[in-house]
Amino acid sequence: MARTTLGLIAVFALIAAACVAFGAYFSYVTLLNAHRSVIEARFGIAAERVADVAEQAASLGIALPAQSTLTSLLDREARVEPAIRSMDLADERGIVLFSSDPARLGIAEAQDGGRGLTRPVRNDLNEVVGHVVVRYDPQILAAGAAALGNDLKVIALPALIGAGVATIVIGLLLAALLRRAVRRAADPGAWPPAARAALAAAERVHNEVAGKSRSGKSPPGKSPSGKSARGPAESRRRA
Amino acid sequence: MIGLRGGITIAIVLILCSALAFIGWGAERAAQRTIAPEILAKANTVARSAADLLGRAGTVGVPFDRLVGVSDYFQNLRAANPEFAQISLVSAAGAELARAGDAAGFADAPQARIPVADPSGRRLGDVVIVVDPTAVTAQVGAVLVDVAFIGIVSLLVALELVALVVGSRGIGALMAVERRLKALGRGVLARQEGNPGAAGTLVGPIDRQVNALAERHAEIRAAAEARGDAAALARLGDLETRTGLGRVQAAESEAAIAVRPALFLFMLAEELTRPFLPRFAQTIAGSGAFSPDFAASLPIVAFMAVVALCQVPFAGISERLGRRPGFVIGALLAATGYGLSAVSPSYGLFVGARVATAVGYALVFVSSQGHVVDFSAGAARSAALAVFVRAIMVASLCGPPIGGVIADRLGAPSAFMASAGLALVALVVALLTLPKTVRRAGAGAGVGLADLKGAARAPGLMALLFGCAFPAKFLFAALCFLLVPLELQRLGYSSAAIGRFQMIYPIIMVLAVPFFAAMADRFDARGSFVVAGAVVSGFGAMAMVLNPSIAFIVVALVALGYGQAMSIASQSALVADTAAALGGGRAAGVLGLFRLVERSGNAAGPASAGFLMATIGFAAATTLIGTVVVAGAALFALSGLRTAHHPRRASSAAASEGSSA
Repeated sequence: MARTTLGLIAVFALIAAACVAFGAYFSYVTLLNAHRSVIEARFGIAAERVADVAEQAASLGIALPAQSTLTSLLDREARVEPAIRSMDLADERGIVLFSSDPARLGIAEAQDGGRGLTRPVRNDLNEVVGHVVVRYDPQILAAGAAALGNDLKVIALPALIGAGVATIVIGLLLAALLRRAVRRAADPGAWPPAARAALAAAERVHNEVAGKSRSGKSPPGKSPSGKSARGPAESRRRA
Repeated sequence: MIGLRGGITIAIVLILCSALAFIGWGAERAAQRTIAPEILAKANTVARSAADLLGRAGTVGVPFDRLVGVSDYFQNLRAANPEFAQISLVSAAGAELARAGDAAGFADAPQARIPVADPSGRRLGDVVIVVDPTAVTAQVGAVLVDVAFIGIVSLLVALELVALVVGSRGIGALMAVERRLKALGRGVLARQEGNPGAAGTLVGPIDRQVNALAERHAEIRAAAEARGDAAALARLGDLETRTGLGRVQAAESEAAIAVRPALFLFMLAEELTRPFLPRFAQTIAGSGAFSPDFAASLPIVAFMAVVALCQVPFAGISERLGRRPGFVIGALLAATGYGLSAVSPSYGLFVGARVATAVGYALVFVSSQGHVVDFSAGAARSAALAVFVRAIMVASLCGPPIGGVIADRLGAPSAFMASAGLALVALVVALLTLPKTVRRAGAGAGVGLADLKGAARAPGLMALLFGCAFPAKFLFAALCFLLVPLELQRLGYSSAAIGRFQMIYPIIMVLAVPFFAAMADRFDARGSFVVAGAVVSGFGAMAMVLNPSIAFIVVALVALGYGQAMSIASQSALVADTAAALGGGRAAGVLGLFRLVERSGNAAGPASAGFLMATIGFAAATTLIGTVVVAGAALFALSGLRTAHHPRRASSAAASEGSSA
């Protein structure tokens, strides 16, 4: 029985700790997503601007491959933000037409494998005719993730340990109360008031009915344990 | 007396709330430290870009202090970046040359100041951007709302795990002790049924006292009976009624709700897929024969249709197999389906995998429901069914945000594999917790076509089913499973964020269903509640025509939650009343028809939504479906709200129907 109780308390402590860890991890992921969206909004401004220029030129009938002035625009926008590694304009198949990094001209974005922020370039029919791709320093995201991870670790570890320990302490306390209640329940005089009242009522009825069967006299009642019947008030006094 | 189990459950709730609040506080600090500087970095980027543009004006001969259109340019920048309170251009002497916005109230707000230089590098002035501190607080606040959602999910998962442990057979001795102490606490002196096991020495003294009392009571009763003393027998009878003396108190039947943890885990497996499934289906379909919206809806439609069609025949199959084998086979089938979904090389195979999952899902659902019905009766059945429904609702609350995060972090195939793993865990839990049941070779006649035809003739039933039940599920499945995920995806939301939006509906349902069921009971107005609920959810969807924005998506989901909460219990109660009024075998036909029509709504919703979204767009599709719901409610209202009627039934009937698939 004691082993069951202790095992149960240990399992509950593990559940509490696991759920705190779960909450902390998911909070970390939520913060990470928020952080990434703020960073991408920052780099997205430059991409939007290049896409706007390319779309205006396209609406004047200049095909994307012919917009040669975009190279200087990409170069200028990439220089504005030191964390930008390169800015490309790729056609609808993903082939880089113009780039702030001359080494990237002609390569396929899909084969590049790197992570970038993309904004579509559309023509007047709302068809996607190309993409502006911003490649930024992945260290920015990694640094943010590490900072967030450290911040939450500092908070989550004590919370996790605290939750586990608090569950164990409260569990032990409840187990002790339960054991005390069981010990007290062995003696009818220490039963809860409702049980003592029921016991007194039962003994009263039993004595009356039994006394009636012995020519109408009411003998003093005996409890099943051989003790004299007591009313709730007497039991309470004894308790 | 609360007891160890109850006490520790309350303690875990309090401890987890405190711990998660502490983590929320930490998350707020972390957000302030990381997100706020990034917003300032963004202001610096924008200011650098603007300064570069203004500096180049000098190269074409425009004097710096005579630039035109700068305020309009700044205004456009502010419109694109609402977190900037003010953007201004000041000369080197400090005079303000152009400005957009007003930062008068933000004295200590963070600001970015970037110099504008001519080609020779001479400083002409500065571009100054003042960051709106309330916008930063709002962004951090939005993150905290997400964290709070995570807290709710953690808490619910913890409570389900506690229920799993508490429901296990290993703590029988502890339950024997608690049962005796609780009985004494209530003044019950009945003998306790069952062997106390390892707790025998602890509860022995209590049992001896109660047994001696019961024996004495039996002797006195026998004597009174022997002498024919009616007055004494009446007094003894009254004593038995008041104290339970001489009676044997049956052990609490945990068998009916033993299915809860396994069912929760299984349902969680399916709910994980909700936020990323449409996007994944589009990706795997590629630019093939199907339009993106159709490609997203087909796997959902196939799943819902198979579940709808299998429910009725599977009732008999599950009875013949036995509930536990039915659950195990279903879970195995579903796990295989999830695994196949994760590795499907083609769209066709993916749809096939979803169909296999649906077959398993239907078998698990029917077997679980059958298990609850088999092991409960009377009022206990309503309570057991309420537990059954709660497991499904909690899974639908917790699954989408968890699935979204897994899909964002590890990819959709990994999330499908997580679903497969969960289905297998559910299988193991079912094997450990569900009792072995006897197979009924002769059973399984189930509900036939003739029963459904007979049920369709019940007065007012078809108006209720096709006016309200079908459109309600139609709207629910269309909005929650397809339209909202696809629209949020289009707006750039991650799977995790989509999952949190999908929590809105079940949260409202969990909180509001009992309230509206009680109100419908109190005012004895179930038909009116069904109509009102349909109107609320329908108008919520129709409001999308005003402005197809994120705010109106939330309005539609909230209206759907409240509308369904108003109507679902009353709708079930009206159907149950109709079934009871018909009586006999026809009652099963009514319930079977109800389920079939509801599940058909689940299947038809995403199918129609996929088609409508591809042809008329998100806002018009949502509005049109909302209109169908309102029209259906009007049809039912005009039919005179006629169904069989038993007062005070909605609250118990609430337990008979879930809201998920």
